Amino acid sequence: MAHLFEQTIRSAADGLASKAFSSMELTKAYLAQIRGLDLGIHAYLDVYDGTAMDQAHASDERRALGKSFGVLDGIPLAIKDNILIQDHRATGGSQILANYRAPYDATVITHLRAAGSVFLGKTNMDEFAMGSSTERSAFGPTKNPRDLERVPGGSSGGSAAAVAADMAIAALGSDTGGSIRQPAAFCGIVGFKPSYGSISRSGLMAMASSLDQIGPMTKTVEDAAVLFEAMRGVDPLDQTTVDFGTVEYATRTDLKGLRVGVPRQAWGEGMTLAVREHTEAALETMKQAGAELVEIDLPYADEALAVYYVLMPCEVSTNLSRFDGIRYGQREARLTLLDTYLDSRAEHLGEEARRRIILGTYALSKGYYDAYYRQARKVQTLIRRAYAAAFEDVDVIVTPTTPSTAFKLGEKLSDPLAMYLEDVYTVGVNVAGLPAISVPCGAHEGLPVGLHFIGKMGGDGALLSTARVFEHIAS
Amino acid sequence: MALTREEIVRLAELSRLALSEEEMKRMEQTIDPILAYVGRLSHIDTSGVPETDSPVLMQLRQDIVAGSSEEERAAILANFPDKVGTVLRVPGVFEKPKG
Repeated sequence: MAHLFEQTIRSAADGLASKAFSSMELTKAYLAQIRGLDLGIHAYLDVYDGTAMDQAHASDERRALGKSFGVLDGIPLAIKDNILIQDHRATGGSQILANYRAPYDATVITHLRAAGSVFLGKTNMDEFAMGSSTERSAFGPTKNPRDLERVPGGSSGGSAAAVAADMAIAALGSDTGGSIRQPAAFCGIVGFKPSYGSISRSGLMAMASSLDQIGPMTKTVEDAAVLFEAMRGVDPLDQTTVDFGTVEYATRTDLKGLRVGVPRQAWGEGMTLAVREHTEAALETMKQAGAELVEIDLPYADEALAVYYVLMPCEVSTNLSRFDGIRYGQREARLTLLDTYLDSRAEHLGEEARRRIILGTYALSKGYYDAYYRQARKVQTLIRRAYAAAFEDVDVIVTPTTPSTAFKLGEKLSDPLAMYLEDVYTVGVNVAGLPAISVPCGAHEGLPVGLHFIGKMGGDGALLSTARVFEHIAS
Repeated sequence: MALTREEIVRLAELSRLALSEEEMKRMEQTIDPILAYVGRLSHIDTSGVPETDSPVLMQLRQDIVAGSSEEERAAILANFPDKVGTVLRVPGVFEKPKG
C-alpha cells in the first residue's frame, strides 16, 4: 500500500471504505507532511490543524454508523485562499485582506461539506489571482516542490505545490486565464478548468467575473471528475451558472477514431524544445493508440491574449473597487474619505493589482472604450466562432499547456508582459468559456511538462473521459 | 499608444490609488509595452461583428431580502475596520476633498 500521504481520492476512499485507515489517521498524516515540508515550500497560508481533525473525527463517526456521505467523505483537501470558508481567514493573497474572516461558505465549500470533505487549510496565490508564478502574493512566494529554485506557476501555485508535494490529496484552484492549468503543468499534476457556468462562483473573490471559474487540481483525471461532479450545478447565488444536465464521464475506453485537432497556430514557434519534445511525443502516443490527428486552423488564436489583457483589467478595475478600507479590510484612517480611499488602496494593494486597475480604468474611460473594450468584445465573438467552427470537425483540441517548463523565481517579475505571455496557450479557453484540462506528459530534467486538452462548451464529461484514457496509455 | 504622465495621474486619481513618484515611473514603463501588445486588436476587421452572439443563459432570481444568520451578522460586524457599537464608522464624507 502507498504511504498514508501518497493517496489519490479514489485510493483513499477505498482505504477508508475497507477500514485500512481512518480519516483521522489520513488527515494526521497530511498535517504531518505539511509540518515537515511547508517551511521550505510555503504552499499554505493557513493550516487548520484543529478543525481538520474535528472534521475527520466526524467523518469516522459517520462511517462507523454506516452513514458515510460517499467517495469524498473524510478526504483531506486544500483550498485556494480566494475561496471563502466560514469563520476562517480569507486573504486572496492580499495585504488588504490580511485580517479578513469569511462570514459565509462559498457554494463549492457548502457542496464539499455536504460530501464530508476535510479542509486542511488555505493555499497561497498571486494577489487576487493576478499572476503566473505565485510571486505576487503579499505573503511571500511558493516554491516548486520539483525544484525549490523555481516557481510553481500561478496563480493557484499554492494548491499545485500542495498536491505535488503530498501535502493534500487534492485541491481547489481558480482559473481566469490559466491559473489552474499552468501551475498544474509546472508541478506535474492534473488541473481542470470546467466550462464557464458549470460551477458556482458564489464565495469566490471576483477577479474577472466573465472569465473566472473554480476547478479541481488533483493527482489523477478520475479525481478531477469526482470533485467536479461534487461541485457543479446551478446555484441561485450565481446567476451565471448554467444547467448542463447529466454529465457522462465514461464515454471512452480507448482513443480509436478520436479526432484530435492540432491547431497550427499553437504548434508553431514559441515553445521551448523541451516542451515540444514531450508534447509531440504525446501526440504520437495518441496516434499510435488510434487517434486521428487533424491539423486545424484556429484563426484569432494569437489575438486571444490581447483580448484577455483588455477585458480582464476592465473587470478587475471594477471588481477591486470594493477594496477601499471602508466595510472590511485594512483601513488607513485619514481626515477625509478621499484620502482614506487613496491611502488604504495604495498601501495595501500590490503593484500588479494596481497596474491592472489603472489599465482597466484607462480602457473603460471615455474616448478609449470603443477602441479597447468594445473591440476586444467583438474579437472575443470571433474567437468563440473560431472554436465552434473547429469543433464541427474534431472531438478535442490539443496544445501544450505552457510555452516552457517552470521558470526560476524572480526571472519574470520585473517584466509584466513576459509574465502575461505565460498564458498564451491557456487563455483562449477562458475567452471562449470552454472546458480544458492539463495532464502531465513527461518531464525534462526533472521539470514536468503538461498537455492541454480543450473540449466543447458543456462537453466536460467527454473531455475528462478522453484525458483519462490518455493518462492511462501515457503512464 | 503611450500614456502620458498626466493621464496616469488622472487614472490613479479616478481609481483612488495614491502613487509615489517612483511608482508612477514604473507604471509608465510597464504599461506602455502592454498597450502596444493589445494594440494588435485594432488591426482586426470587426465590422458587423456583435459583442456577443451567445444566447443569454443568465437565470435571474426574484429580488427578495433573504437576511443572514446571527453568525454571519457577527462576522460582518467583526470585519468592520472601525465601529461604534454595531454601527460602521467612516471618515467625513463631506470634508473638502483634495484637488
